[in-house]
Amino acid sequence: MTPAVHADTEETRFGRFMDWRLFARFLSYAAPYRRLIVAALALLPLSALVQMTQPFLIKQAVDQHLTTGVMEGFPLLLTLFSLLVGLQFVIGYIQSFTNTLLGQRVVRDIRNHLFSHLVAMDAGYFNRQASGRLTNRVVNDTEAVSQMVSSGLVNLVSDFLLLVGIGVSMTLLSPSLSMVTLLAMPVLIIGTVLITRRMRLIQRQGRILQGRMAGQMTEEVEGAEVLRLFRCQQHRRHLFETINREHFRTVLDSNFLEAFQFSFIEAASTITIALLFWYGAGMVDQGETTIGTIIAFIDYIRRIFFPIRDLSGKFTTMQAAMTALERIFNLLDTQPAIRDQSVTAPLPVFRGEIRFEDCDFGYGDALVLQHINATITPGEKVAIVGPTGAGKTSLVKLINRIHEPTRGEVFIDGLPVRQYPLRTLRRMVGMVQQETFIFSGTIAQNIHLDDPAIGPRELHDAAVQSGAITFIERLPMGMETVLSERGGNLSAGERQLLGITRMFAFNPAILVMDEATSSVDTLSEQIIQTALKRLLQHRTALIIAHRLPDIRHVDRILVLVRGRIVESGTHETLIEKKGVYSRLYALQFREETASMMD
Amino acid sequence: MFRDNKVQEWRHRLRHVLPHIGNHVKAFAVGFVLLALTNASAATIPYLLKLTTESLTTPTRGPHAIAHLVLGLILLAVVNATVRVRARTHIFGIGRTVEFEMRQRYHAHLLELDAPFFDGEKTGDLVARGNNDITSIRMFIGPGFLQVSNTLMVYAITLPVMIGLDAALTLLVLAPFPVVLGGARVLTRRLYRLSRRVADRFGQLSGFVQESITGLSVIRNHARDGDWCRRFATEAHHLYEANVDHTRLQSLFAPLTMLSGGIGAILLLTFGGSEVAAGRLTIGDFVAFSGYLAILIWPTVGLGWILTVMQRGLASLERVGRILDTQPFVASPEHSSANRPPTPRWQGGITINHLNFSFANGPKVLDDLSLVIPPGGFIGLVGRVGSGKSALLNTLARLYPIPEGCIWIDGMDLATMDETLLRTHLAMAPQESFLFATTLRENLNPGNRQIADEALWATLQTVAMEREVAEFPLGLDSVLGERGITLSGGQRQRVALARSLLADPVILLLDDVFSSVDAHTEEQILNNLKTMTPTRTILMVCHRVAALHHADCIHLMEGGRIVDSGNHAELMASSTRYQTLHQRMARKEALQSMATPALVEVMP
Repeated sequence: MTPAVHADTEETRFGRFMDWRLFARFLSYAAPYRRLIVAALALLPLSALVQMTQPFLIKQAVDQHLTTGVMEGFPLLLTLFSLLVGLQFVIGYIQSFTNTLLGQRVVRDIRNHLFSHLVAMDAGYFNRQASGRLTNRVVNDTEAVSQMVSSGLVNLVSDFLLLVGIGVSMTLLSPSLSMVTLLAMPVLIIGTVLITRRMRLIQRQGRILQGRMAGQMTEEVEGAEVLRLFRCQQHRRHLFETINREHFRTVLDSNFLEAFQFSFIEAASTITIALLFWYGAGMVDQGETTIGTIIAFIDYIRRIFFPIRDLSGKFTTMQAAMTALERIFNLLDTQPAIRDQSVTAPLPVFRGEIRFEDCDFGYGDALVLQHINATITPGEKVAIVGPTGAGKTSLVKLINRIHEPTRGEVFIDGLPVRQYPLRTLRRMVGMVQQETFIFSGTIAQNIHLDDPAIGPRELHDAAVQSGAITFIERLPMGMETVLSERGGNLSAGERQLLGITRMFAFNPAILVMDEATSSVDTLSEQIIQTALKRLLQHRTALIIAHRLPDIRHVDRILVLVRGRIVESGTHETLIEKKGVYSRLYALQFREETASMMD
Repeated sequence: MFRDNKVQEWRHRLRHVLPHIGNHVKAFAVGFVLLALTNASAATIPYLLKLTTESLTTPTRGPHAIAHLVLGLILLAVVNATVRVRARTHIFGIGRTVEFEMRQRYHAHLLELDAPFFDGEKTGDLVARGNNDITSIRMFIGPGFLQVSNTLMVYAITLPVMIGLDAALTLLVLAPFPVVLGGARVLTRRLYRLSRRVADRFGQLSGFVQESITGLSVIRNHARDGDWCRRFATEAHHLYEANVDHTRLQSLFAPLTMLSGGIGAILLLTFGGSEVAAGRLTIGDFVAFSGYLAILIWPTVGLGWILTVMQRGLASLERVGRILDTQPFVASPEHSSANRPPTPRWQGGITINHLNFSFANGPKVLDDLSLVIPPGGFIGLVGRVGSGKSALLNTLARLYPIPEGCIWIDGMDLATMDETLLRTHLAMAPQESFLFATTLRENLNPGNRQIADEALWATLQTVAMEREVAEFPLGLDSVLGERGITLSGGQRQRVALARSLLADPVILLLDDVFSSVDAHTEEQILNNLKTMTPTRTILMVCHRVAALHHADCIHLMEGGRIVDSGNHAELMASSTRYQTLHQRMARKEALQSMATPALVEVMP
């Protein structure tokens, strides 16, 4: 049996109902919309007033006109009453609309802030965080905050005002009668709070169980083959039934509480009205109060009970929002490890020289790179070879500060890379990766990546240079063809060609290629090799190579084994040396040489 | 005739809930009675209020008249609350029961369906049908029944009383109600459409964030963060706009309800007021009328809402129905007799005669393939990607429909064989080692059969994993997956292999199960497999040369056919294709081994 999921993880925990520190910070996001806030707040007393005046008018009608038969002034009263009803509608609408609008605007801003913060975080951060959790912050947590604004906060104030207003009006009308009504309040409030708390727990339990059923079904659909092969159907049915039955019981409990709460409020209001009559009868007889007052009280009582019922729900909304705010601000407070230095040096004239000076890099104690010393002269093409896991990719990522060396320094044209503005640095160094990541969107979008500087002309030129134009033009929508997520409707070769086109469009001065042809079939490889050759011209380049064609045109080869550069030289000198490279070459590349000669 | 067709059509649309409703006819009747009691007691309350108000204005009332009426009111309030709770829980309970039953049925049905079906479906969608759609159907039955019958009843009870009090006034006061009902209906229908758009936009934004995080290295490498944030802002703004559209309508809902109540009150005051003033209506009648109006508003709005909900329930019913109507392609385990007399253990000989196979509407992946596998043989399969190795294993495991008379096991036709019989004698470790996010123990024994811990450990030893498992803090009870121990690719493969061994099959199909296991461990496991008792027929897709050397016979596949057969030595001598393949595999392995410490010793 799977143990019951304990809900108190970071994702489901409920915090306090109000945290002023968080709230003050939240207000800074709401500040730009202070006019909306003012409008929402200004409408509050108005709406409370409109609601409170209606029963009073009824009382007037009964006492002044209905019981006396004097109809003079009655039409005026009617008009006033109709006006109030109309006003209540208008105010109600505007209030509800403003609140939601305010919530949505604030949340849109928080989302934008969160996302730009997230994008600025360094690669190391994302290795430590599950992407689902981060998405949750940007999308769902912010939604909880919007709930707080649109249905929690302002309504809480408004309900509170309404209750106070009704209390005051009742006291003004008849202090002793309102005492009777107020007696019912503690019972009502305590009852509602208890029920709601219990209900919240049960509903959460219900959601967890429903999630578990969904989880089981998801697994079963994905592992349908295994279930069939190992005759698990009966066992799985049994497991499912256990959860389903538990869910059934939970929702029955929740249904009961819901029905109970509803009926409890109804009954409490009727009983209060009955008590009102009982107590009021004597007062009417004594002439201390009028029937009209009693009727107005009945109306007040009906209006007072529902805000109380809703109050507890709003507390829950607030709690959820506070928890969400805490998580959101925690994320915003995490600073990226790699960022621009506050003072940047004047940039040198570009030549294209890269120099590693005694660089170490690693995670924790484990060093991935050790004592890396190398200089790549302007325009030089250097290949990095070595077995899997030698640290080749980590090495090239030091150049554009995707990683930061734990010791030592990387220089471009004599200036440490950390003194370049990140944007400049990363535009200067282009990277063709093993596989080109394709975003859902059009081909054009995937090449220019929303850079306004790359227009249709540049786009076309880039595609011509890379040769991608051939397959793009064959597509019915050309550049505007929409690609599915991860580029599922393109072949691996076409995806890679798009990545190279991206490079032509961005035109970086230094080029890094990470096994750019490893995932491509032989046919596409020819085209890609041609494109790469053209791309390499007039650029300093570092090429992580694993196939023979990758090392044929380079000026020099660095051999990396277990994080160290063990050999360096041209192909011929390294073969002569009969060291690691010659062994690697024999195993990795000779077969290809042979097959090429066929 | 027309009416008959209508009935037929509805019968068809409701075919999957009608049996459930049928099972609960009695419960529905009880619910109806409870509901009637609730409404009757609720309707009496305003009447008592009227009497009380009237006796207040009667100076000649008896000494205890008010006290009696007040006591009556309190009693009635309590009775009403009790009956209402009973009625609601009872009726919602029926809906929940049907939900429970339908979910059970849906889940059980899903377990019966097989690979050709799942190939064409999206996981998320199948799960949504089992979850959200069945919830919608529940709304159709529980709250739907309650709301509709409740509204009808409230009207049936309240209307005669009101008419009895003053027919003309009743008509006047209720005049806005049809508009309320129609308005609520239109509003909810539009709101559903708008909220679906909000949900879509929400999903899009979620997808965008998820994708951006995955592809962040590209954005970072090109220093595109600024514009990318702008793109996000556009997406976020789309969601915002959808929300605002929704709010524009949603904000109408509560004020409109209040407004219709207010208009009723205005009408009552205008027309009822003058009646009272003229002495044709008592002040008590006036109070009662306003009470009745309050009673009628919510059920009317609620009716409009529930009609929309029920419409959605019908749509969900259709979605669930499509799955429930799908029949498995291969014989389902349910239809096989579990209690058949025990058959003697198989020999495990396989004969394949002219087998052709293709996936749904795809090209042929097995092309007129014939093959004889002797009982107890250790058979290797090699060939390029797409040569048909996995397809051959999948058909032998009968995961896909196969033609009759093509595959024979110990002389029995595989196509028509009893499912239970087949699964007790044949097991397979598929290429993708799917494990469940549960304990290791449950993964080794997913069918929850009686297997002693010793047997589990012994099998873990066979797959060279017992030492690793012993180091897990919870041993066999360690939870695998996100919330527990994350296994490496090689460990997953070995667990999947152990699982298939624990099924104790006569025929064992292994689809490339060592691709992530290192060469040394593979060698060890292969030796264990060969010396295992009792002997099994093992058919294995090979990935390394060592496995080829172990095989009694190797079949080289190409284009869905077997092109060369023989043991390693024979093939090396006779088949150039095999030589090339063997050489390439050997090179690749040598290269991989360079990453091991052996190489470092060469270093200066």
